[in-house]
Amino acid sequence: MKPANDFLIRDEQVFSGALSCRGCGWSLLVRHLASLLGPDTVYVLPASCFSIISGPYPLAELKANVVHTLFAAAPATATGIRAALDRQGKTKTNVVVLAGDGGTFDIGLQALSGAAARSENIIYIVNNNGAYMNTGIQTSTATPYGAVTTTNPGEGYKKSWPKDLMGIIAAHNLPYAATCSLAFMEDFREKVTRTKNTEGFRLLMIDGPCPPGHKTEPGDSIHIARLAVETRLFPLFEIVRQHYKLTYKPESFLPVEECLKYQGRFRHLFREENKAMLEDIQEHTDNTWNRLLALEKLANVIA
Amino acid sequence: MKTEILEKNTGLNKQASRYPRHRQLIMKGNYAAAEAAKLCRVGFVPAYPITPQTTIVERLSEMVSSGEMDAKYTNMDSEHSAFAAALGAALGGERVFTATAGQGLFYAHEVLHAIAHFRLPMVIANVGRPSIPWNIWSDQSDSLAQRDTGWVQFYGESSQEVLDTMIQSYLLAEQLNLPVMVVLDAFYQSHTSENVWVPDIDLVDEFLPAKVPGPMSIDIDNPKAFGGLMPPEHYNKLNYTYWRDAIQVEEKAEQIARDFATLFGREYHNVEAINIGPQTKLVLITVSSITSTARGVIKKYPDIGLLKIRLFKPFPKASVQEALSVLPKDAILAPVERNYMGDREGAIFQEMQRALYGMPFKMYDFYAGAGGKDVPPVTIEKIIHLARTNPKEVNWVDIS
Repeated sequence: MKPANDFLIRDEQVFSGALSCRGCGWSLLVRHLASLLGPDTVYVLPASCFSIISGPYPLAELKANVVHTLFAAAPATATGIRAALDRQGKTKTNVVVLAGDGGTFDIGLQALSGAAARSENIIYIVNNNGAYMNTGIQTSTATPYGAVTTTNPGEGYKKSWPKDLMGIIAAHNLPYAATCSLAFMEDFREKVTRTKNTEGFRLLMIDGPCPPGHKTEPGDSIHIARLAVETRLFPLFEIVRQHYKLTYKPESFLPVEECLKYQGRFRHLFREENKAMLEDIQEHTDNTWNRLLALEKLANVIA
Repeated sequence: MKTEILEKNTGLNKQASRYPRHRQLIMKGNYAAAEAAKLCRVGFVPAYPITPQTTIVERLSEMVSSGEMDAKYTNMDSEHSAFAAALGAALGGERVFTATAGQGLFYAHEVLHAIAHFRLPMVIANVGRPSIPWNIWSDQSDSLAQRDTGWVQFYGESSQEVLDTMIQSYLLAEQLNLPVMVVLDAFYQSHTSENVWVPDIDLVDEFLPAKVPGPMSIDIDNPKAFGGLMPPEHYNKLNYTYWRDAIQVEEKAEQIARDFATLFGREYHNVEAINIGPQTKLVLITVSSITSTARGVIKKYPDIGLLKIRLFKPFPKASVQEALSVLPKDAILAPVERNYMGDREGAIFQEMQRALYGMPFKMYDFYAGAGGKDVPPVTIEKIIHLARTNPKEVNWVDIS
């Protein structure tokens, strides 16, 4: 991928100063997202890190309307806001959910599925940092296999695989869904633009750097996000009406250790007796990648 | 879907002049609620079915799809989502309506608090039924369990009252920025056909102004952040302003009912006192359709009165005190409870007791009719007999 140098934000839609932790992905994500979506946007926030980052009363990071809502209810709240705006003729206004993985994979999954199945004209952004980070790093069903959290501590590290949210979302036959990385900003911005220009229920899942939760150095956030893509731990792809398309294929496959080794939450995996677990993660990663390649091929066959 | 409910009762046409600008129809309580939503020009109906509410949302979906009602109707994935969608649209400045029952209301509990604290005006209908073990019959435990969510609650005695109260409730909700729940009895009302005078929509328009987005609605040109983390001193003040408006409900509801009577010809009050005077020795206290049964029974007892509670939350303390102020000191009060709230006394007793603080009357509580158990005239007679002979402070009637 050619390095791009025209990422400069031309239409700033956030105020300066944000309450995110150092190295958090939320601020970067929202800054680019908001500048591309523009001021004609209503954001809907379930409980998440971004509830706080976006500003406790009376502060506001975003220049547009922001509606804080219940943990399980963001897509449903957005449904109501969409209905009101449509009744008032504001059909072009973007209604955008900004959620974390807990609010998406777990408590909000039913409302998400409902809104997706109804083809609500809503954009859903999930910043997947792999745990309930806002409440202090508790396990979610997005938490990676092998990770330590405060509810999977020590030798009780997580021993099940994360939910395949994109697979669940694909099953809803959406007009557009994609995964994004903040280390691949051009790709991210293109996907946001495509999302904006598509009608119906759209979802973007962004790999969310979280130094306190992942036990990483804040300055390494983008580097680690890039390694997650290069090791294929976090593949970049799009799904259009159940048709998969990989948007980035690493030229040489780095072993998963190259990404995991920077993250304290996986430190125990590098002990000799846990070698088999690292192999499991590599195998699972390879299988997921091969499955995505097969799904991409399937899309070509059907098309 | 066939509409078998709105049959014209042509036999009663000669009475049509009783209420000008009305039609008299025979309809079930649930259809009266749906009809009221249409007459109030509700713009958005997020819905989720639950027995015995289902015919409300079926009727609304039918009216919207036929074009009879200009609204957006959305089948949601749960009551939690239905109420959250109502929240979103109300924040967008639309007039919204939804309906539920029992478990649905319990499930929406969290959202009820949020709607109230966002100060969103809306009206919902709840068809009362209790919690599991599965029971779909009449019981007010579901809505009474939401007493402390900040919603105004009215309980309707008849289909007519449900329809009329919903119209009044939208005005009350929008004047005070408070949500209102209109409760009707499962089956005894929801699925029972009654004569209902249905006002012409332009008459309702004269009473209830069109809903337009206000200064606290979502506005693209004047963006705001709604509901973010609020520090203690602000949260405390927010509750103060809530309280300041909530304590106006009792007086405001009476005022609105008076204006309604002027325009529509039907009179309502927060409470209704029947045969309560210096001669009254015993007063039954009821909500909803049990009231109608009690009305019939007390006719033959010149010394028995009836106090119907129509506005239940905020509890109309002043109205209750005023209604009972004419009673002799030794009068006995007997609430009839179709609820069980996990405490010694039922919900009506609890609320009455704080309204009666400082008043001399003895009150004995009578549980009758939870889970839809019928409360026929003979049960009311038993309550009267028990209250006059040897009542315990709390009595369960008809437990075999």
